[in-house]
Amino acid sequence: MFQNRAEALALALPAAVFAAIVFLAPVVILLAEGFRSADSWSLVAYVDFFTDPLNRTVFLRTFRLGLMVTAVSAVIGYAAAFAIVNLSPRNKGQMIGLVVLPLMISSVARTYAWIVILGRTGIVNQALQLIGLSDEPIRFLFTETAVFIGLLQLFLPLMILSLISALENMPKDAIPAARVLGANWFQVFWKVILPLTKEGLVIGGTLVFTGSLTAYITPAILGGSKVLMLETLLYQRVTVASDFVSASVIAFILIVMSFAANLLLKRLATARNKR
Amino acid sequence: MSDAAFLSLEKLTLAYGDTIAVKDLDLSIRKGELVAFLGPSGCGKTTTMRSIAGLLTPASGRISLDGTDITRVSANRRSVGLVFQSYALFPHLSVFENVAFGLRLKKLPASEIETRVTAGLKSVGLSKFATRKPAELSGGQQQRVALARSMVMEPKVLLLDEPLSNLDARLRLEMRTELQRVQKETGVTMIFVTHDQGEALSLADRIVVMLNGAIEQIGTPEDIYNRPVSRFVADFVGFENIFAAEGGKLKAANGPIALSESLPPDTAGLAWRPRMVTLGSGPFQGTVRGASFSGSTREYLLDTPLGAIKAEEDAGLAAHQPGTELTFDLPVAKAARLERFG
Amino acid sequence: MTPRVFSPLVLLLVIAFLIGPFFIIVAASLSGGETLAFPPQGFSLKWVAKVFTVESFRESFAVSMFLAIGGTAMALVLGIPASYALSRYKLPFGETVRTIVSLPIIVPGIIVGLALLRYIVVPFGFNITLALFLAHTALVLPYAVRVVSASLNNLRSDIEEAAVLLGSSRAGAFFRVVMPNIRSGILAAFILGFVTSFNQVPVSLFLSGPGVRTLPIDMLSYMEITYDPSVAALSALLAFMSIGIVFLAERFLGFSRYV
Repeated sequence: MFQNRAEALALALPAAVFAAIVFLAPVVILLAEGFRSADSWSLVAYVDFFTDPLNRTVFLRTFRLGLMVTAVSAVIGYAAAFAIVNLSPRNKGQMIGLVVLPLMISSVARTYAWIVILGRTGIVNQALQLIGLSDEPIRFLFTETAVFIGLLQLFLPLMILSLISALENMPKDAIPAARVLGANWFQVFWKVILPLTKEGLVIGGTLVFTGSLTAYITPAILGGSKVLMLETLLYQRVTVASDFVSASVIAFILIVMSFAANLLLKRLATARNKR
Repeated sequence: MSDAAFLSLEKLTLAYGDTIAVKDLDLSIRKGELVAFLGPSGCGKTTTMRSIAGLLTPASGRISLDGTDITRVSANRRSVGLVFQSYALFPHLSVFENVAFGLRLKKLPASEIETRVTAGLKSVGLSKFATRKPAELSGGQQQRVALARSMVMEPKVLLLDEPLSNLDARLRLEMRTELQRVQKETGVTMIFVTHDQGEALSLADRIVVMLNGAIEQIGTPEDIYNRPVSRFVADFVGFENIFAAEGGKLKAANGPIALSESLPPDTAGLAWRPRMVTLGSGPFQGTVRGASFSGSTREYLLDTPLGAIKAEEDAGLAAHQPGTELTFDLPVAKAARLERFG
Repeated sequence: MTPRVFSPLVLLLVIAFLIGPFFIIVAASLSGGETLAFPPQGFSLKWVAKVFTVESFRESFAVSMFLAIGGTAMALVLGIPASYALSRYKLPFGETVRTIVSLPIIVPGIIVGLALLRYIVVPFGFNITLALFLAHTALVLPYAVRVVSASLNNLRSDIEEAAVLLGSSRAGAFFRVVMPNIRSGILAAFILGFVTSFNQVPVSLFLSGPGVRTLPIDMLSYMEITYDPSVAALSALLAFMSIGIVFLAERFLGFSRYV
């Protein structure tokens, strides 16, 4: 540790000032705008926002999709992570590589693929018609299902990776010990694996949940204006109606949710360090 | 060699923020001396060493070296070398370049750098390792690189932070010999910091015992080992039976106890090592509570009116069984007379 | 069914779900037909070739490259000294500084873009390129600070003191002793920043003007007009670029240590 305060400030201030001016100040002003009405502070904008049934629908849909993606990714994540940690070290490395790989690909590209798959002439429709389950193309695009699938594909790797590290930190003998004591696989999961990997689950869940909540590209491409989520609604309010007040309200909701999730994450991380 | 102070610290006060680590410290060290700063962790010994190196600016006081006030001279112009406890070798540079680092900064001619680094590596027996990276060396070898790196700069004072503590027993002996050789050959003034009394006793010309940011006692190893002046020093160098004294009498748990000989009135306490306690005769009575055998000696724990007493006898003598009543003596002639009992 | 049989099957399905779409994109982009389709109708490289002839793709690619390289470089110029101060000094308000520079990772990009547009770009008459540059720098800054800090925390600070005692100045010690040892951390931060910036969409949504937009935004608007496989081809090319960079970084730097 060096003692010179002036030196320390000279090194740290440029970055802090930059972030404060370019990022913090504008965002704070934007958020403040939602609490202003006729030169005084008020919650009118929030009341108005939630009075509109469309807004309520979008808000609830965003929340619902976030929860569903998180829940389903947790279920699939456990199965996949469990399979991966039981592989030989070499195979494990390769599998982790395959899970990480999609994270490196632009989300525009990853989402775009679903148009090819779910479109009117996409693989799914071709398959359905081929085996005679359907006579004419079923509309998958611009449905909640499409958005759900897109989000799941986008964020599942984060859940798997969190769970892999949680499973690897689990005491090696816990599962055999429970098996020897007569637990079936369901009991082993419920009484041993879940409690011991809870923190990994929460970390992965937070990442997936905030990711889904604040996703733009997936609802924009796969949901369009039919399946709006909070970010696409924000974009529409600004570009179509120059409605910056609604934008501020949505921004505040998104930031509060992200912060709450992050706070939870930090709390858990410190709790783990203490132990 | 003159007796005049080569390095002197006057009224030195050192602080980290608002926490005072060392207060009003006075010390003078002669040229060519090998001095140990001895004390438990947090006593201020490392802090004092860092201030001599210039890594910490004193809150007040003065440091002078070779007749010059260096209190405000920055660390890179002090001619003080420091061998870090962790060696602090530069991981990206070869052994040769590590040793050459300071010489290159001095912009010496390449041929002279070559000569001095080669000689430096040879003197620590690492000529063969010049092209290796520090990570490819053992701990002991790394330390010798660090030593060579400091010594090629021909510092006026060489500081060593816990030089033996990271080494195993065999390397410890080797390094001890090495340091004594370097000191003898170059005559450099050396100060090393340690928490291990054995290291300090075996290596130093003079020991500075520190406690709570102040000097507790300064003396030769014999002084410190045989004539500790305070309860802390006595305890630190292995005196187990330590008693306060007042008005010429010992203060025991249940009142003052007169001794066979009278004490000078300013005696603050007396201390005996276990083997200074005479068993089988004397004015005191005790019960053997426990005994342990350690090869050449037997150690006893006695319950006595004075409190617990630890005594030691040759293993050749007959053992005293636990529960036996024994008479014993605490001979004043053998005791260390403490001036302070704080 | 026991997990022993069950596991590999699940894993296969999951990996197919994660990676499959990428292969479909690649296949669709090699189609000879006029519309986006899978299985591809015949084989042709014409859509891949077309990507390079679309004027707006070329322009927006240049913009995205500039932002990814320039923005990341700027974030490192700001972030390296800040990380150094945070890891080596007892910094007054250190936690506040750390929070401020890390915030852009938590706040959704679309909000950052909108706020920047409304309260900086419009009032101060900044041009869009500058605004994009600032936004991408702010976006990459948290990654730069995090990766460089991790690298600095793995390096003992006493080597700097050793350098000073051997005659170096404080700044000299940084450049002679610290920089060479955190070089791969800085490179890792650069790569992570580059990929993040290049693939970033929401922050740039509101920050586009005549002739100035990032590549992903350009792709989004191209998709609204045309339904041909050129976007698939471009997506595939970009994916190969990202994967290639990350693969090389992992190979030569052990990238995953830092991220």
